[in-house]
Order: sequence, then structure tokens, then C-alpha cells
Amino acid sequence: MTIGLLSAPTVSATQAEDINSFTLDNGMKIMVLEDSSIPNANMYIFWKVGSRNEVPGITGISHFFEHMMFNGSKKFGPKMFDRTMEAAGGANNAYTTEDMTVYTDWFPANGLKTIFDLEADRIANLDINPVMVESERGVVQSERTTGLENSNWRTIQEALKSVAFAAHPYSWSVIGYESDIAAWTLEDLQQYHKTYYAPNNALVVITGDVKLAEVKALANQYFAPIPAQAPPKAVRTIEPEQKGERRVFVKKESVSTPNIMLAYHVPATSHADYYALDLLASMLSEGNSSRFYQALVDKQLAVAAETYMPMSFDPNLFYVLGVANAGVSAETLEQALIEQINLIATQGVTQQELEKVKNIKLMDFYRTMETINGKANTLGTYELYFGDYTKLFNAPEAYNQVTPADIQRVAQTYLIKANRTVGVLAATEESDK
Amino acid sequence: MKTITHRRIKISLSAIAFACSLSLSGCANTQKTSVDDVVASPSFAMPSYQSVTLDNGLNVKLMVQKEVPLVTIDAVVRAGAVNDVTSGMAYITSQSLMLGAAGQAKADIEQQLDFIGASIDTTADLEGSYIRANMMSKDVDTVLDIFSHVLRQPDFDSTEFDKLKQREIVGLSQQKESPRAVIGRYFNKLVFGEHPYANPVSGNSDTIAKLTVAELRAFHKGYYQPSNMTINVVGDFDVADMTVKLNKAFGDWQATETVIQPDLSQNLPTLTKPRVLLVDKPDAIETTFLIGGLGIRYDNPDYVGLTVVNTILGGRFTSWLNDELRVNAGLTYGARSGFDPYAQSGVFKISTFTKLSTTKEAIDLALKTYARLWEKGIDQATLDSAKAYVKGQFPPKYETSGQLAGLLSDMYLYGFNDDFINQFQAKVDGLTLAETQRLIKQYFPQQNLQFVLIGNADKIAEVAAQYGEVTKVDITATGFGQ
Repeated sequence: MTIGLLSAPTVSATQAEDINSFTLDNGMKIMVLEDSSIPNANMYIFWKVGSRNEVPGITGISHFFEHMMFNGSKKFGPKMFDRTMEAAGGANNAYTTEDMTVYTDWFPANGLKTIFDLEADRIANLDINPVMVESERGVVQSERTTGLENSNWRTIQEALKSVAFAAHPYSWSVIGYESDIAAWTLEDLQQYHKTYYAPNNALVVITGDVKLAEVKALANQYFAPIPAQAPPKAVRTIEPEQKGERRVFVKKESVSTPNIMLAYHVPATSHADYYALDLLASMLSEGNSSRFYQALVDKQLAVAAETYMPMSFDPNLFYVLGVANAGVSAETLEQALIEQINLIATQGVTQQELEKVKNIKLMDFYRTMETINGKANTLGTYELYFGDYTKLFNAPEAYNQVTPADIQRVAQTYLIKANRTVGVLAATEESDK
Repeated sequence: MKTITHRRIKISLSAIAFACSLSLSGCANTQKTSVDDVVASPSFAMPSYQSVTLDNGLNVKLMVQKEVPLVTIDAVVRAGAVNDVTSGMAYITSQSLMLGAAGQAKADIEQQLDFIGASIDTTADLEGSYIRANMMSKDVDTVLDIFSHVLRQPDFDSTEFDKLKQREIVGLSQQKESPRAVIGRYFNKLVFGEHPYANPVSGNSDTIAKLTVAELRAFHKGYYQPSNMTINVVGDFDVADMTVKLNKAFGDWQATETVIQPDLSQNLPTLTKPRVLLVDKPDAIETTFLIGGLGIRYDNPDYVGLTVVNTILGGRFTSWLNDELRVNAGLTYGARSGFDPYAQSGVFKISTFTKLSTTKEAIDLALKTYARLWEKGIDQATLDSAKAYVKGQFPPKYETSGQLAGLLSDMYLYGFNDDFINQFQAKVDGLTLAETQRLIKQYFPQQNLQFVLIGNADKIAEVAAQYGEVTKVDITATGFGQ
């Protein structure tokens, strides 16, 4: 359809009731959101497998496997997945996290059938080609290297996670260790596909200029015949409680001023404290009126100070990253960051400050809902992390329920020294005194 | 997203990073494929918008998009790094707009905007300065008030300015920690030499240190005038109501002096020999490199055709460059190419990266793959695929209020109109194989290629010397190769 020229647009913000979902007999859940704002559609397939499902020796295999899903299946041999999709006007990508692997297809709406055909074939009949495995090792080693070359975050986070987690598989980076990337076998990969790439371990989200009836028909034709498998084994390891501060230092000669990363253990996303912690993160770092900006950047101690709390199936980390201004020592920056965090625990926050970050969250929510891709990705993410996509539409209200006392309580509970790992990235390490 | 690794990343090696910003991110010889049931591509047209002239003659564009209750207001000023007298002037002026305005202190403005979840972001590039406000529809009055003050009456507070300069200088050192963030600036300097298109938008540590408030005021007075800018509003609002508000905010604003613009069509470089700029980063664990030369202007009638041809060479996953360097050889995570058009010239670049030990292998393979354009050319199946691809991927580029406002801003700055969107599909459809041969001959630089390599110079100096006359600079040296 043509947009804009035929009629004046009407308010069409997506509501929970606009989402249709159905589950095939093989356990594959499919969610559909009809949205004709542009003549395009997408398909997001979420697989419940990420680096948390790995063990030493095959670290990074979830991500490597993501690459292999593009490298040949029964009907579409090596390179044909991409060539077929692009010839139909489609593009794709994929991403891997600690918890899941997500495949993203973006295409003109009339390419829907082609996309189903392509996806069904690689789910049901992946054919892992040994030659492709070897060239892909080089690709992923390059991906790993370019991340370390260009990102201080990557460099320090990899080291910090290995210290913050003593037992849980969140201990290693999603991309894995160099030696593991070089070493896994064809059998490892085949086993991985068999274990995790079963329809009952997937969630499919389709949004865009499509009709529910058409999606249902194609899902029944292409996805329904793929047999279910026994569910994968649960990740059993529970990270033991941390009982004292841990530290890690990483030297990188080209780092011009020290970078400090702090990480505190926090509960899984499904825990009731998620919203308060998320708002607390925003108070610390979002916007120039944030506490970090006012106390660190504006005072010329730091040139940047940020927070990050990933959505997560298992208890994970609340990250803080600061980059020192010139002439500011790692120690000074570390203390300044900690001081701001501790201030919330000791003195609490104001109602006005809380209102501010709630408004920022509402704005973020609307921005997410502005594109068909934002909708698909967020719907799937909420369905998996919160167990229910309708929580996405309740999110503004859930944030609204949080009180200043909640913020202070979560700061006092989680953001404490004994629960903290400190990472320092700098050009030179202080010598022994 | 930080803990996420993507199968492929969208990187722009020419992107000008916001100084001091900290990114926590972590993202063919085709046989004919049979795709059944493909009908004609659905048409995609420019969404309707109103052009309104305010009381002072300022033309604004208003485009209603009601999907979410948000509004984007963009002001674009025809002044960028090409107008710099002191390097970094346009960019630092844009940053300084937010240091307080109409007597309201920087911190007060930030608090007021953050409290309603709104934002005003400012930046500049080679040919434009941009002020963008994002807000909920209900907050237009509050934000527009601040927006007009920031644009018209910045205070340029000297204390805040000194602090900003210091942070920007440190930010430049940090950007040089990431070859990907800065390599485009070295490339433009190498290609354009003394021409204004060589000016790094960010400036350098010496020039930023020298900038004064008086210079800021002069730059602002000279260029930030209603006769030298436009405003675009996209989102959920009422046109009549917004027109009244804009008139209130800007209707009494009069131009005070004649704007003087450089003639950028003059003194463009002629590249007479292959050259290599070797940027030494001693602790580099990979080599990041660009290969290319001069490109095309924004108003080039062959822009769309070149988009299709470049899609085949280096603009998509199955492109020749990515297929050879990544998929077949495993040398890199990604290889791409592209034209960056400016008003009066442009650049063409091939970009990739590889581990130190395969630097030569990757450069040679990139050059060999590039040469296929002339040696073999394009076949019909590949052309058909690329056409379908660029048409299919076009609409999502213009989906959000921000994207549409950016499009309207570019229309002002580079002088194109709705046909850019409305004729896109027809132009793609009309591209023939014979035309692709003409485009390759006419536009893709074949001789006297320019190279920038960032890596461990001790290890790759001999490799660098094989491709042209080498100039070596240290990455920590001031500037970008001057």
C-alpha cells in the first residue's frame, strides 16, 4: 500500500490486544502483529540458547552456531540462504546473548513465503559443511579481535565477568575464548543443533504488512511438520553468594585515560526488583541531569559514565562504566563512582527524580514502538524474559508503581561493596610499592 | 547492546562519532535463484507533508505521523566543517549551543528537558549543523521554547565552554583508541588535502584548545540565521496548531547579515598517484584499512544506479567484497564499500579489517575483487537480485519521525526533492546491464587509489610500501595526518 498520500494518518499506537498468538502442535509459539505503516514485514525467531548453555571447552559455540545457521541446509546449500533472501528483497542478521540467539529477517511483505521456506529448511535440515566451519572460524576470530581492538568495554568486561562469576556460565563472554573458537568439532556443532534448535525451544514474532490468516497458513505448511525434541537440560549452576569485593586489572597500552567498570550481582529480570533497579540505573546515568553527569562529568572527573543492566534469565550483573578525564587517576574515578552509588543507599532519592526517569522510560517505550522491528524485537524479548509479552504494555505502569523507598532499598540490598567486582583498564599498571 | 555479538555489524568507518560519546556496544557471482510467488514490489511514496512559510519568510516543513505520541523538531543550518576557519569550529559551536541559552543555565535546561523525557541533541558534519528535539506531543510548548532559545540566543557561557573544550580534547584521544572511529577522518585528509572537504568535523586537540567564545559568537551570528536554515517537524501534532507555535517562536527572527559560503566546487583535488597513509598504533592487534578515492556529488543523476552497483560490490552481505574476504577466505568479520556524497564532491571507499598477519592478503584480495568490476562486470541475475534488494530495503530507512525529519533536512541541505523517494523505484527498475558498465567506467576510481592503514607500523610498513607512496604518522599525533 502507499502511505501518507491516500488518507490522513490516524492514531495507531499498538495495544496488547493487537497481538495475535498461536502455538503449533510441535510447541512452536508464533506471535503476529499486523502493521501496514510501511510495505515491509519481518520475522524474528528467538531460540532459548545462549552462552549460559555452554561449558568450558565450547565457550562461544552458541554464537558460532548462529553463524553456521547461514551456511547451508538441505534445500539451500552454502551461501544460498543469503542469496535467495536478498534476491527476494530481504536482508537478515542475527545476534547472540548470554541467554538467547535471535535471527532477524527484514523483507518486503510479499516475500513472506520465501522467508518461511528458508527458515524452515535451516531449522529442519541444517547441513553443516566442514569447509564452511573452517572459514567461519576465521570470521569469528576476526569478530572477536575487532571488538577488542575497538572497544574498551569489550576488553574490560571480558576480564571482569570471569572474576565476578566463579561458577555460573555467565563467567565467559558471548563470543567465547580464542582457543575454544579454534577447537570445537563438527560433532559439537551437530549436537548443538539437535539439542537446541527444536521448534518447542523457539518463539517466532512477525510484524508488518501481513495478515494473520496468511501467517497461520504458512506456519502450518512450513513449520508445523518439524518435529519437537526433548527439551534441553536446564542450566543448574547457581552462582554462590559473593562475600567480599573482587578486583581485576587489564593493561592496554593505547588506553589514554583509565576506564573503571564496576559490577554488582543482581537478580534475574523476572524478579520483582527489576523495575526499581532499572530506574536506579537511569537515575545514575541517563541524561545530563543524571547523578553521574552532574557529579563526575560536569566536575571534569570523567568524560563519560554509564550504566548497563542486561535483561537476563539468571541472576546477572548491574554494570557501571566510567572513563576518566585527563589527569584523573583510576582510584579517584573509582571512588567518585562508588560515592554516587552509595549516596542513593544512604540518602535515598526524591519523588521528582523518580518522576523524571519514569518519563524517560515512557519516551523509550514509545520510541521502541515506532518501528516494526522495534515491536518484533521487544515483544519477543518481553515474552521470554518476563514470561508474557503483555508485560511490555504494562511496563509504563510497572515503572509507575516504584517508590523512592524501593529505589533506596535495592541500592542498599545489591549495590554494596561485598557484592561488587571492580575492573580497571589502563595503559600502565601501578608497580609494587 | 553490549553483551551481544552480531553475525555482522553495520559499521560506518566514516562516521563522525559524537566527541566524548561512549559507545557501550558491543552488531556475488549469483546464480539465478527461483523465488516463487513474488509479485511486483509494493510502492513506497513520500509521506505527505505541508510546506509553511513563517512570518519572517522561514520555510518549514510539517509532516504528521501519528503512530506514537511523539514529535521530532529538527533545525538544520547550512554551516559545517567546510565553513571552519579554526578546525572544529562548526562542531564545537553546535555543542556549545547547549551550554545555556536566553539566561537559563545549562543545568537548568538539562533538568527541565530530562524531567519530561525530552532531549535536544546538537551536532555538525561537513556541510550542516543540526539541532534535534525529541519530545512527547503534550510537551511541545515547553520544548519548543527551549529549542528556540538554544538556536537563537545561546549564552556561550565561558566557564562551561572551557569545560566543554577540555572534555572534547580528551574525547579526541579516546576516539583514537578505536581505529574504526577515526579512520574516515584520515582518509578525507589524504584525499582532499587543502580543500575544505578535508576538514575533520571534530577539529583536533590544538585547534579546539585555541577556540574562543568570541569566535563562537561570530560563527553563530554569521551562519545561524533564518535565511541560512530550515526547520522540519515530524510526528503527532496538528498542523495549524504547530504553525502558530512556530510563528510565535521564530516569526520575529530576522537575518542580520549576508551569509558567505565557500565555493566548494573550486580547487577540488586531482589524485595523480597512489598514496598510502600508514597510521601507527603500536598495540594494534589488527589492521583497519580503507581504499578508495573521489566519489560523487549528492545531486548526481546516477546516484540511484550507483547505489545498485555498489550493493553488488560491497553494499550487502552477499556482495563480492564480503563474499570473498569474509565468506570464502575467513580473513575478516566484514568487508564493504560505498559512496559518501557531498554537495560538490564525495568519496568512494572500500573498508575492512583483518589480523596483522593477513594484512597483505586482505588488501590484495580486496583489490582483486574490486578489479572484477572492470574485468568481468555484472551479470543479469546479480543485477536483478541487487535491484530487488535495494527496493526491498528502502522503506525501513524512512519509517520513524527521526528518519523522516532527517530526510527533509537533507533535502534542504543538498537540494533534492520528493522525487528522491517517489522516483527511486522507477530508477532502480530502469537500470540496465549496459548502464552498469557505463557507471563502472565513469565513477569507480580505478587508478591512483588512496589507502589508509591503521595498525602496527613496525609489522606492516613493508606491506604498505607495495601500494603507493607511504606517509607514516603516529595515531597519537595531533590531528588526522596533516
